[in-house]
Amino acid sequence: MCCVVAAAVLATAGCGDGTRPDGQLIVTGSTTLLPIAEQAAESFQKANPGTNVLVSGLGSSAGIEAVASGTSDIGTASRELNADEQGLGLVDTPVAYDGIAVIVHPDNPVDALGTDELRAVFSGEITNWSQVGGEDRRIDLVNRDEASGTREAFKKIVMKETTFDRSAVVLPGTGQVRDVVAHSKGAIGYISFGFVAPRFSKTQVKAIMVDNVAPSDESIMTGEYPISRALHFLTKGEPSGLAGLYIQHVLSKEIQEGVVPEAGFVPIGDHK
Amino acid sequence: MSTDGLRLVSKQTQAKEWLLAALFFACAFIAVLAVAMIFVFVGYQAWPIITDVGVTNFLFSGDWSPTAGKYGILGLVQGSAIVTIFSLAMGTPLAVCTAIFLSEIASPRIRALVRPAVELLAGIPSVVYGFFGVVVLRPLMGDATTGLGFGPLTASIILAIMIVPTIAALSEDALGSIPMGVREASFAMGATQWQTIYKVVVPAAKIGIVDAIILGMGRAVGETMAVLMLVGGAPQFFAGLGQPMSTLTAQIVMDMSYSTGTHRTALFGMAAILFVTSMALVLSVRLLSRLKHQ
Repeated sequence: MCCVVAAAVLATAGCGDGTRPDGQLIVTGSTTLLPIAEQAAESFQKANPGTNVLVSGLGSSAGIEAVASGTSDIGTASRELNADEQGLGLVDTPVAYDGIAVIVHPDNPVDALGTDELRAVFSGEITNWSQVGGEDRRIDLVNRDEASGTREAFKKIVMKETTFDRSAVVLPGTGQVRDVVAHSKGAIGYISFGFVAPRFSKTQVKAIMVDNVAPSDESIMTGEYPISRALHFLTKGEPSGLAGLYIQHVLSKEIQEGVVPEAGFVPIGDHK
Repeated sequence: MSTDGLRLVSKQTQAKEWLLAALFFACAFIAVLAVAMIFVFVGYQAWPIITDVGVTNFLFSGDWSPTAGKYGILGLVQGSAIVTIFSLAMGTPLAVCTAIFLSEIASPRIRALVRPAVELLAGIPSVVYGFFGVVVLRPLMGDATTGLGFGPLTASIILAIMIVPTIAALSEDALGSIPMGVREASFAMGATQWQTIYKVVVPAAKIGIVDAIILGMGRAVGETMAVLMLVGGAPQFFAGLGQPMSTLTAQIVMDMSYSTGTHRTALFGMAAILFVTSMALVLSVRLLSRLKHQ
C-alpha cells in the first residue's frame, strides 16, 4: 500500500516535470505479458489519476519494433533481443519469469515428452501419437506466428537449429492456441504456463511433463523445468518519466507478489 | 452589378457556381489521387524485391520463411487462388439463384423480407464472419476432416456466404434491367416461368451476371480478416482441403507488425500483386460493360 502512495507522489512530481504532460503511456508487445501489464496499468491509473496507460498485445517483435521506432513508450517482450535488435539502444528490465508449457487435449494419454521428442514432433519428423506412446492418431501441430516471443523462446530452447514443420497451423495468440488444443484430440501446442490454468477459460488443456519435469511455479522458479524464460519490459534509453514510474510499479511488491503469481508467472526476485 | 437592361447573373453567384464545381471536382479527384498515390507508394516500396530477391525466387518459389531469408510466395498465391475459386464455386450458384428468386419469382411481400436479409449479410463485419467460422464451423470441419478444421475449405465456406450479397445484388440489378416486354413475349409464346427464366431472362442478363461474379471474385481475393482467422496461416502448398494454408492477404496481416527490410519489401510485393489482380478484375468488368452496350 505504501508503495502505491509513494508511486502516486512520484507521479505527481513526474507530471510537474512535464515529461509527458498528457500523462499517456503506450505499452505494446507480447500477448504473454498482457495480464501483468494490464492489471499493473489498472492499479497504476487508480493510484495516479489523470494518467492513461494503453496496453496492447501484438507480439514481442511488434513491441520491440514499436518501442524502437518511438510509437510506444514501453515494448514488452517474452524473448531476448536478437542480434539486430541489440543495436537499437533499448534498455531491458526483466519483470517476471515464465515457463512455456507444452499442451495437449485432456483426453490425450501422453503425459510426458523429452525435448528431443518435442523437437521431432514440431519439426514434422514424428507425425502420429503412437510414435510417442499414445493412441493411433495424427498429430496436429499448432504453432505461433513469427512475431511471437513464445515461439522465439520455444524455438531457441527446444528446436535449436531445427526448423518448425511448415504444415503446422499458425495462430496469432496464446488464447487461440489454448482454445484450439482444448477442442482437438490430436492437437499439440505450446503456451505460457500462466495460461494453462482454467481460470482464463472454461476449457481444459493438459500441460505435459518435459524431460520428466512437470511445469509448476516451483520447477520454473528453480529453473528445473527446461523451457523457461524471462519476460522483459523494454524502453528506449533508461526508463524515465511516466514509463519509469510504471515499471517501478510493475516491480513493486504489490504487483510482484500479487498479480505476477496470480497470472501464473514467477516473480523476478525468486528465480534461481 | 448588372449592365443596362440585361439582368446577368451576379458576380457573386458566378463565383459560387464556380466554387461548387471546383468542390465537386476536388471530391472526385481525391479518389483518383488516392488510387494513384497508393499505386505509386506500393510500387515504390515493392520495387526492390526484384533486385533483392529476384523475380524467380519471389514469384516461382513456394518457400516462404522470412526469418531464413526465403521469400517465395507461390504457395500463398496458390492459397489465395484456391480459396477464391472454392468460395466462388459455392457462392455463385447461391447468389445467382437468390437474385433470380428475388427478381423473377418472389411475391412483393416475400421479396421485402428476403432482400433486406441478403443486404444485411453485406453489413456484417468480416471479423464477425471469421469469429463465427472459428467458433462454430471450425470444430465441425475439424471433425469432418479429422484435423483441426483450419484450411481452405472452412475459409471458402465462410467466404462464399460473404460474397453472396455482392453477387446477388448486382445480378438482381442485371435481371431487373431486362424490360418486362421480353418476359411478356416469352409467356405469349407459351413458355412456362422456368423456361422464360433460363432461356430468355438469364441469357439476356448474362453479361451483368458475369460482372457481378467478377466483382464478387474481387471481394473474395481481397478478403483478409475472416480468411486470416480460418485458413490456418501455414505458408505451404495445397495439402488437402482440411490442411492449413495461407493466402497473400492473411500473410501480409500476420507479418506486417514485425517485418523489416526485405521482408517488408516482400509484403509490399504481395500487396502489389493483389493490387494488379483487382485492377485486372475491374478492367474486365469495364470491358464487359462496353461489350454490353454495343
